[in-house]
Amino acid sequence: MAHYEPPKQGKASQLIDVIVLVILTVGALFVPLWMGMAGAAKTVAAPIENATWEALGQTPAQAAQYEALGYTPESAHDLILARFDYSFSVGALVAMVVVILLYYFLILRFSDIEYREVISEKFGQK
Amino acid sequence: MMTDTDITSPVMDGMGPHGTKVGLLRVLGPAHVWALGVGIVLVGEYMGWNFAVGKGGAYAALIACWFAGILYTCVAMIDSEVTSTVAAAGGQYTQAKHIVGPLMAFNVGLYLVFAYTMLEAANAITAGYLFFVVAQMSGHAGDLDQRPFIILVIMFLAWLNYRGVLATLTFNLVITAIAFVAILVLFVSTSGILGGGIMQHAALFEGHELPYGWIGVLAAMHFGLWYYLGIEGTTQAAEEVRSPARALPFGTLAGIMTLLIAATLTWYICSGVLPWEFLGDGVNGAVAPLFSTAQLAGSTGLVWLLGFGTLFATLASANGCINDASRAWFAMGRDKYLPGWFGAVHPKYRTPYRSIVFLVPIALIFALGAPLDQVITFSILSGLLEYTFMPLNIIMFRKKWPLNSIKRGYEHPFHPLPALTLLALCGITFFAVFLGYGTQLVAMIGFYIVVSLWFHFWRYRFVNRGTQFTMPWPKPQGY
Amino acid sequence: MDLWNWLEYAAWALSALFGLYMVVDWLKTDSSYSEDVLTSSREGELEAMTEEEHRG
Repeated sequence: MAHYEPPKQGKASQLIDVIVLVILTVGALFVPLWMGMAGAAKTVAAPIENATWEALGQTPAQAAQYEALGYTPESAHDLILARFDYSFSVGALVAMVVVILLYYFLILRFSDIEYREVISEKFGQK
Repeated sequence: MMTDTDITSPVMDGMGPHGTKVGLLRVLGPAHVWALGVGIVLVGEYMGWNFAVGKGGAYAALIACWFAGILYTCVAMIDSEVTSTVAAAGGQYTQAKHIVGPLMAFNVGLYLVFAYTMLEAANAITAGYLFFVVAQMSGHAGDLDQRPFIILVIMFLAWLNYRGVLATLTFNLVITAIAFVAILVLFVSTSGILGGGIMQHAALFEGHELPYGWIGVLAAMHFGLWYYLGIEGTTQAAEEVRSPARALPFGTLAGIMTLLIAATLTWYICSGVLPWEFLGDGVNGAVAPLFSTAQLAGSTGLVWLLGFGTLFATLASANGCINDASRAWFAMGRDKYLPGWFGAVHPKYRTPYRSIVFLVPIALIFALGAPLDQVITFSILSGLLEYTFMPLNIIMFRKKWPLNSIKRGYEHPFHPLPALTLLALCGITFFAVFLGYGTQLVAMIGFYIVVSLWFHFWRYRFVNRGTQFTMPWPKPQGY
Repeated sequence: MDLWNWLEYAAWALSALFGLYMVVDWLKTDSSYSEDVLTSSREGELEAMTEEEHRG
């Protein structure tokens, strides 16, 4: 295995690499945000009018803690009734599994190619 | 070689035979390792873990707490074994480079930097919010501008990191210890051990045992990670501890035990006082659940103690994150995985100063520009990808270098059981994240695929092939 | 203007001070040492050193 001599990277090229990485990073966080795909919000499915602690499903002991925290049945209404929606489609689940497996397959494959080169240069070809 | 070094000179003492003129300083002990690991994580008990309660109820959060505890015990055991053998700044990045391969290492390095930089941003946001609350409580007219406080937290801690690792982690040791003691004090003074107890678990859980059923327990795993996220960062200190083979396993395993205790106590205290709907809503309800519990305990002393505990926990965490992210970034620069300019060490302070300075504006962008849950999710996802890498890493490590081929500072028991457990728990957590943040998960993996291609086809040409393998190990089996 | 307004200004000022310190020191360091010295750190010093100790 011939010894690989990497090219020396100039200042400008280094700077461009950093800028590319930063753009990709910021993009990964903010693009889902801008496209409005971010996060799972809780919603109140069935609002209750003239809420009381009983109607909100709270026992006297639980209601006492809410009152100690400074809540009234009205102000605690949304907090208590909001729920997540855990329904999902099998198609989306399969898509996610495929993406994750593809990702790990890709890295492990490329890593192995690069790793063999490292080992043969470091330890010499047998 | 002899001409350009002078052992009495502080800047050119010629540490090591490889021509390092200025290297990182080896000054830390096991207590600092503990402070680095626990310091980063303990903020998770002061805020954030309670989202798990919202996801599935109080019992679900406890189950998630313990299963995540198992996950992290596996992480700590595996990590201790590998890192007691691969002792270099960069931690898991360097491990991946030697065991799996360069592209994996590049990805792991990015997981580390993102997980820590995002966590740092989340901490700064929380600290800013704390100042806001305190200002309101003290009767400040109008809304306090949180931005200067967020920026100050990041700037001050970056400056501390810039000036040297010993002072940085000694500071962490002190404030982490105070934050941990605050949890213990709150426990003994509210649980009935000292004076009257205010715990009423049975009454508060009545009718709300598992509000979402069992799928809520699965969903809670997402934020269950938050109880412990970051403990694996201890390995970043490898090049700066005096005896890594001993101090790293000791500090890491002591850290995970501390956290298991702190997490369970925190769950017990908070769920016994706060109703689950309030506790589980970290935005409109219990932003800082331990602090809210102290307020209900009716003692001004406890309120102050837990207030400072919360502030110290966020500072300790952000501090540790700056330390870890900059070490990983530095290590990648040193190997030319990133521009070599980042691989510089400050000749006087002996810190990776360029990496520290560079990551400041990145942290500021996220702290000032993105919502908290978003930042936390980004951090958790990067962490999760990293934990999925670890079982692959240890299985390959044991295969390529069996126990008798190289000496390890610590050997973890029951291999491959911990690796397989860890893999299974990661699978469950991926599903939990999918339930709430599926699109982000895919977007983020899309990002890692793009940068992986960029690295493989462009960036890797600047990397030395053979010399990046620096451990004095025999040739791996099977190559 | 109450105490908290002053604290806001103080936080801005301190942030600027810490930032300035780092930037000034960074530029000073970069100009007074050669790039070779600054980026001379290599991975694996420790292993190499323990190896040498065992041999010696």
